[in-house]
Amino acid sequence: MILPITLTSNGLGQSKVVPYFQTPAMMAHHTSGTSSLDYPSCLVRTPTAMRNASITSSTIERRLNVRIAGAGTRTMMFAHGFGCDQNMWRFVAPAFQDDFRTVLFDYVGAGGSDLTAYDAAKYASLDGYADDVVDLARALGVTDGVFVGHSVSAMIGLIAARRAPDLFSTLILVGPSPCYIDDGDYAGGFSRAQIDELLDFLDSNHMGWSQTMAPVIMGNADRPELGDELTASFCRTDPEIAKRFARVTFLTDSRADLGPIDARVLILQCREDVIAPPSVGAYVQRAISGSELVMLDATGHCPNLSAPAATIAAIKAFV
Amino acid sequence: MTHRQVADDGALDFADLFETAPCGYLLADADGRLIRVNRTFSGWIGQDPAVLQGQRVSDLLTVPGKIFYETHFAPTLRMRGRLDEVALDFVGADGRKIPALVNGIERRNENGAVIQIRFAVFMAAERRGYERGLLEARDKAEAAIVSERADSELREQFIAVLGHDLRNPLASITSGIRILEKEGLSERGRKVTALMSGSVVRAVALIDNVLDFARGRLGGGITIACDLDEPLEPVLRQVVSEMRSISPEQEIATRYALEEPVACDHMRIGQLLSNLLGNALTHGAKDQPVRVDASTAHGELVIAVSNGGAPIAPAALERLFQPFFRGHDRVRQGLGLGLHIASEIARAHGGTLVARSDAVATTFIFTMPLGGITDRMD
Repeated sequence: MILPITLTSNGLGQSKVVPYFQTPAMMAHHTSGTSSLDYPSCLVRTPTAMRNASITSSTIERRLNVRIAGAGTRTMMFAHGFGCDQNMWRFVAPAFQDDFRTVLFDYVGAGGSDLTAYDAAKYASLDGYADDVVDLARALGVTDGVFVGHSVSAMIGLIAARRAPDLFSTLILVGPSPCYIDDGDYAGGFSRAQIDELLDFLDSNHMGWSQTMAPVIMGNADRPELGDELTASFCRTDPEIAKRFARVTFLTDSRADLGPIDARVLILQCREDVIAPPSVGAYVQRAISGSELVMLDATGHCPNLSAPAATIAAIKAFV
Repeated sequence: MTHRQVADDGALDFADLFETAPCGYLLADADGRLIRVNRTFSGWIGQDPAVLQGQRVSDLLTVPGKIFYETHFAPTLRMRGRLDEVALDFVGADGRKIPALVNGIERRNENGAVIQIRFAVFMAAERRGYERGLLEARDKAEAAIVSERADSELREQFIAVLGHDLRNPLASITSGIRILEKEGLSERGRKVTALMSGSVVRAVALIDNVLDFARGRLGGGITIACDLDEPLEPVLRQVVSEMRSISPEQEIATRYALEEPVACDHMRIGQLLSNLLGNALTHGAKDQPVRVDASTAHGELVIAVSNGGAPIAPAALERLFQPFFRGHDRVRQGLGLGLHIASEIARAHGGTLVARSDAVATTFIFTMPLGGITDRMD
């Protein structure tokens, strides 16, 4: 029989505690989680005054792995969607650094965020994520800002903007969908059974959703602009949290959060997108009176990666 | 054979390899739209290659696969340039699921623009089944751990409360005995209170052993707090004097030669000696002295406790330190935890406890490094 031994020491002035719960994999997870290569260091700015003035600011910046860059006074905040992290904006955000203070972050559970801050109850609804957006914007002193939200973040941005109307005067919704499940006349694109299949798949599939997110360091000789560190951590997330985030993303019906809003709203819709089809984009545009919709000549759900130039042009034309 | 013929054969081989390779090949444009698939893949899907042409890769996947492809696979492919061993289910023309592992790689031109995405598809039905089995086993194990952890917390609390509740009345009895002794008792009264005190000491030791054992079994473990500053000898003397009060008729001969400080938990070493002495007093010959020899030499602390009497049988000697081991004499013995706990205390200190027994004497020898367990761990 083996008795676990806890050593405390008073006479020897040294103690040994064997951390048997920490596996090398877990340690790697924590140490390589953040990417310092996101931007050239000369562009990374820390709002020093704000940091000194408020502890909350630096706390939430750490928690959400916030990266601030750009020369403008007006803030443009980029929020990633389900899957992956702030690196989704890698080809888009730098284009706005001359005119805006750009803010990128990872939601708790994604990318380089503080995984220990994941609170299953708080993040069981989009409101929990919207709270973080509001808290972050407040901590950074954002007013009259631009919020760019991809996928589920489009809805998170709408919720945040309704809660704190002073923060964002412009919302850019990239591939928004207020509800993924068909409901009567509303065509979300998926049946409830299909979404259940997705959630089952998430429960049973390890290879697809977690393994690809495991750190795989591989050289990228033909694309030196992408550091190994980035390619290693991109799309990496805790599988348990990914499952829960998928549940919130695909089961939430946010249609009630549409409707008139003070902020100017631009919807960016991909020509072909199985996750947020053009009909859903049109529904969102009709539901938010005064909103504009731009159809991007792009396929897939991530125009920020597949068609960054068109995405940048559409946003620039609107702001 | 001319050079030309060799080249032709080679070209034929590569075209044939593409079409009939033991894996599916899919070539797609930058948008993920299929340009060409090989015969192996179209055969699995049960579709004519011409029909597949122009479809997007995600069109051929199950709904979860589509969502995964769009939210993870395609973005990662764009960021990393390649992605390997992704589990996806294709849907055949007959609606059948085809579990596969997919590797993807981007081909770019000299300007860095994507010109083609290439996929290699491997059947993975059996592998997926095996993985599902592993996953189920893991889930079961995790569920078991969770329930086990909850049970163990409950037991920990139970042990703590039990220890408290058992010791409290003993403390009351002890103070009662003190009060009586102060009032001046008859000779007979003093004998009775001495016996009562001895019983309390034994009961306390018994409770300590039982709780330590329970804690060890249930996850808490024996904890030790090392102390170098205080001398060990007074602790050992105190234990011996307590045991003398329990068995006043039996002689306990002691020798202390503790010249150097020892990095050990004094309470625990006291408990160890108490257990060894208790064992010697119970099982040793009553007409022969029990000997305690504690010394430091050659970088080690050695405490030896020996008694006379009948030797322990070799078979029994092997099992002495197992919990609940009780020889043949069940009446006079306790729970059989004393020696077990003593050996665990020895181990927690990076030391050893061994027993020797012959016709002359039975001796238990505890040895540990003076520096304590840190010496062993380094």
